[in-house]
Amino acid sequence: MKGGFDRASDLAERHITADEVRRLYDQHGPALLAYACSFVADAAIAEDVVQRVFVKLLQGRIAVPDVPLGYLYRAVRNTALNVRRNGRREMRLDADSAWFAHRGGDREAALALQAALAELPEEQREVVLMRVWSGMTLEEIAGASGVSLNTAASRYRYALEKLRERLRPYRKGEGEE
Amino acid sequence: MESGDERFESYLREFEPRRPRGLPTVAGARFDWRRFAAAAVLFITLGGTTWFATHEKRMRGVEGMTDTEVSGKSTTKRITAFSLTRTALENPKQLDAELTEDSRRVLPNFRGKESTLRVLAKE
Repeated sequence: MKGGFDRASDLAERHITADEVRRLYDQHGPALLAYACSFVADAAIAEDVVQRVFVKLLQGRIAVPDVPLGYLYRAVRNTALNVRRNGRREMRLDADSAWFAHRGGDREAALALQAALAELPEEQREVVLMRVWSGMTLEEIAGASGVSLNTAASRYRYALEKLRERLRPYRKGEGEE
Repeated sequence: MESGDERFESYLREFEPRRPRGLPTVAGARFDWRRFAAAAVLFITLGGTTWFATHEKRMRGVEGMTDTEVSGKSTTKRITAFSLTRTALENPKQLDAELTEDSRRVLPNFRGKESTLRVLAKE
C-alpha cells in the first residue's frame, strides 16, 4: 500500500473532537477490527490495536486529515504490524477468534470469509473492507490509499473474484453467477 | 458495476464484523485541567516568592539606611519652593541657616587646601 497523500484535502490536518472520535469508532470500529484481525488473528490483540489507535485520537495527541478514514486504516495497519513484529502474532482461525458473524448463523461461511480475507494481498483486503464494511466509494478509497481510481477499482475487482471463488461452496442457490 | 458484483457485495454484507468493545473514557480534558492547575500553582508560587523577595529587600533597604542618608533625603525633600517661601516669610534667619547648610553640600567648596577657589587661583 502506498502511504502518500495525493490530494490537497488529505494534507489539511486537524484535531478531531472526542465526539467525532466516538462516532468514527461506532461507524468504522467493526471494519477496522476485521482489518486488524487480518494482521493479528487473535481478536483480543486486534481489539487492543484498534483501541490503541482510537485512544490516541481521544487524547488529542494526533492531528488527522480532513477525511480521516484512510488515516485510520493506515494507523491500524501500522500498529498491528508493530504488534506482530513484537512476536505477539497468533494465527489461529478458530471460533474464539471469529471476527465475522453471519446474519443467518452460517459460522463456517464466516470462518471461510475471514480465512479468504486473510489470504488476500494487503492492498486488496483493505479495499474490500473499506468498500463493503466502511461504505466508502472507490474514489474515497483511492484518495485514502494514495492510488489512482483505476488502481483502486482493479484491486477491488480482483479481491471480489478471489472471495467469490472461496465462498462459492457456501452460497446456497446463488453459486452460479 | 456489474449486477453480479452488487449481489456478491450484498452477500458479503450479510457478514457483520465483530463490534469492538467500547472505547475507554480517556481523561484528555481532565488532564488539561490538571496541567492548567499545576501551571497556576507554579505561577502563584513563583509570583508570590518574587514579590516577597522584592518587598523584603525594599524594607531591609529602608531599615539599613544611615541617619545621615535619611536626614539628607529629608533635607532634600524639605527644600522645595513652597517650603522655602514659607520659611522666608515666617523665619528668615532659619532660611539663611538652611540655605547655608545646603550650600555646603551643593555648591563648590571654597575652603580647605583642595578647594575649588584655591585650585583656580593656582591656575
